[in-house]
Amino acid sequence: MRAWPAFRITLQLAAVTTGILLLVGVPLAWLLARREFFGKRLLEAVILLPLALPPTVLGYYLLLVLGQHGPLAQTLGITWAFRFEGLVVGSVLFSTPTVLMVYREAFRGLDSDLLQTARTLGAGRWRLWREVILPLCWPGLLSGSLLAFSRTIGEFGVVLMIGGAIPGRTQVVSIYLFDLVQALQLAEAGVVATALLVLALLLVYTIRWIEGRWRSTIS
Amino acid sequence: MEIDYQLRWPLPLAIRLTVKGFTVLLGASGAGKTSLLKALAGLIPATGTPFAGLPVAKRPVSYLPQHYALFPHLSAWRNVAFGLAHLPRSERERRSRQLLAQLGLGTYADQWPRQLSGGQQQRVALARALAREPQLLLLDEPTNALDAATREEVMREVVAIIHDIGVLTLAVSHDPALAQQSDRVAVLAEGRIIQQGEMAEVFTRPQTLGVAQLVGFKNLFAGRVAELAPPWATIDTQAGPLRARAVPWLSVGQTLTWGVRPEEVIIVRADRPLSRPVADNRLSGRLSRLARQGLYWHLTWEGPLRFEILLPRHVQDRLALTEGQALEVAIKPDYLHLIPSSD
Repeated sequence: MRAWPAFRITLQLAAVTTGILLLVGVPLAWLLARREFFGKRLLEAVILLPLALPPTVLGYYLLLVLGQHGPLAQTLGITWAFRFEGLVVGSVLFSTPTVLMVYREAFRGLDSDLLQTARTLGAGRWRLWREVILPLCWPGLLSGSLLAFSRTIGEFGVVLMIGGAIPGRTQVVSIYLFDLVQALQLAEAGVVATALLVLALLLVYTIRWIEGRWRSTIS
Repeated sequence: MEIDYQLRWPLPLAIRLTVKGFTVLLGASGAGKTSLLKALAGLIPATGTPFAGLPVAKRPVSYLPQHYALFPHLSAWRNVAFGLAHLPRSERERRSRQLLAQLGLGTYADQWPRQLSGGQQQRVALARALAREPQLLLLDEPTNALDAATREEVMREVVAIIHDIGVLTLAVSHDPALAQQSDRVAVLAEGRIIQQGEMAEVFTRPQTLGVAQLVGFKNLFAGRVAELAPPWATIDTQAGPLRARAVPWLSVGQTLTWGVRPEEVIIVRADRPLSRPVADNRLSGRLSRLARQGLYWHLTWEGPLRFEILLPRHVQDRLALTEGQALEVAIKPDYLHLIPSSD
């Protein structure tokens, strides 16, 4: 199947992006949800910025930063433009605002009394996370991660700018579909579009199902 | 246990308090009651003795918040076992089930918190708090989250359990009914303890107007000392001179506040003549309002003054009082309580 490399790159990208967002986003969302600190508003504004930008603008600036003549190339020798790494950076930034908001809501719903009581019952930080916070918040974290996964699959503008749609290397399936339509290969385009539709439906349905189950366990 | 604590945040408090048996700390909302409990539990910073400086997990206190904070994802016995992480796994379960059984919840050990009634949830939380065998048990507004209908009964059981186990307990509340079940009462206002002592002492001899209002005094009026002839004092009031028990701080001419609890106003019956000195404190008026208040009747009496009176229903059944009728009331001098004026 000719579409396979594009699907493979897309799924890899979605998995890596989701993993990074989970590692970075969970602690960040915890800070935003439950701590007050200097500069919190500004940090929130910066994190939310990609939501207000056209994806191509985000992609354009990433191209400048990660390109051959960019600051990272000159200082650290990193040129991630037109490579998988570049796609990852773009995807992470693109999905951060949405995913972080879902994580943050999961933590905001947590009753402070539960955490304080757990501490008075002798629980240290590690036990608090393992036995109270994660068991109560995992559905929110999982639903945020599935959202990250599905958004990455649906991405177009950022990955086109930063990745350049090189077949087999940086061409994701949404761009592959666009190229098929441009080339009037409508039969294969139909197959690819259907596959994407089914995948998206599956992901969105799973998110809703988890959210429903979550509400019924908490209340 | 003597508690001496100073807080700066979230509000300044300087507390010196003796905890004995089941002690209730009364205070209006916002007085800092919960802050004091959290400080004792180590959840907010404070200086003083005992325990200050110890990390939260190391303090020999158990804290029970208003809504009990049961872990919704753990069954009743696992909630209790949460605080027993230092024991081997099998011992944890055995001990938790045993405690639940002791508190009358043996059959509920495997239920989820959401399947339990408010009173049962409170007892599970109590079992969880007691499991750690604390030196001091802290209860935050323990009657608040209970149904009005079962509140008194549930709390009576809780107090009985606390007495049986013999754990030193400090409960904070704004509910005088809870304080009436306690061994000792303290009153918090303006960032400090303004009165503390045996329950009966604080309830019948409040030292300030604020305490009087908190412990359920309703009939409070201004007066002046007209005559001192120990053991009696005569107080000039709007209703004429009334007799009270003389107290050491009185002097002739002094203005003060006098009051009587609504359940301690006597209804004078024509067939039962009063003897002195109660007969000296006899007032004529009429019954302007009669309304049910739980198992009591709430009377509004208007004469030279206006009294609120609480009457047990067996008394009303016998007297069959009706609104608008003429009614004589009297106050026993021992129950006519005197409070120094605050100015």
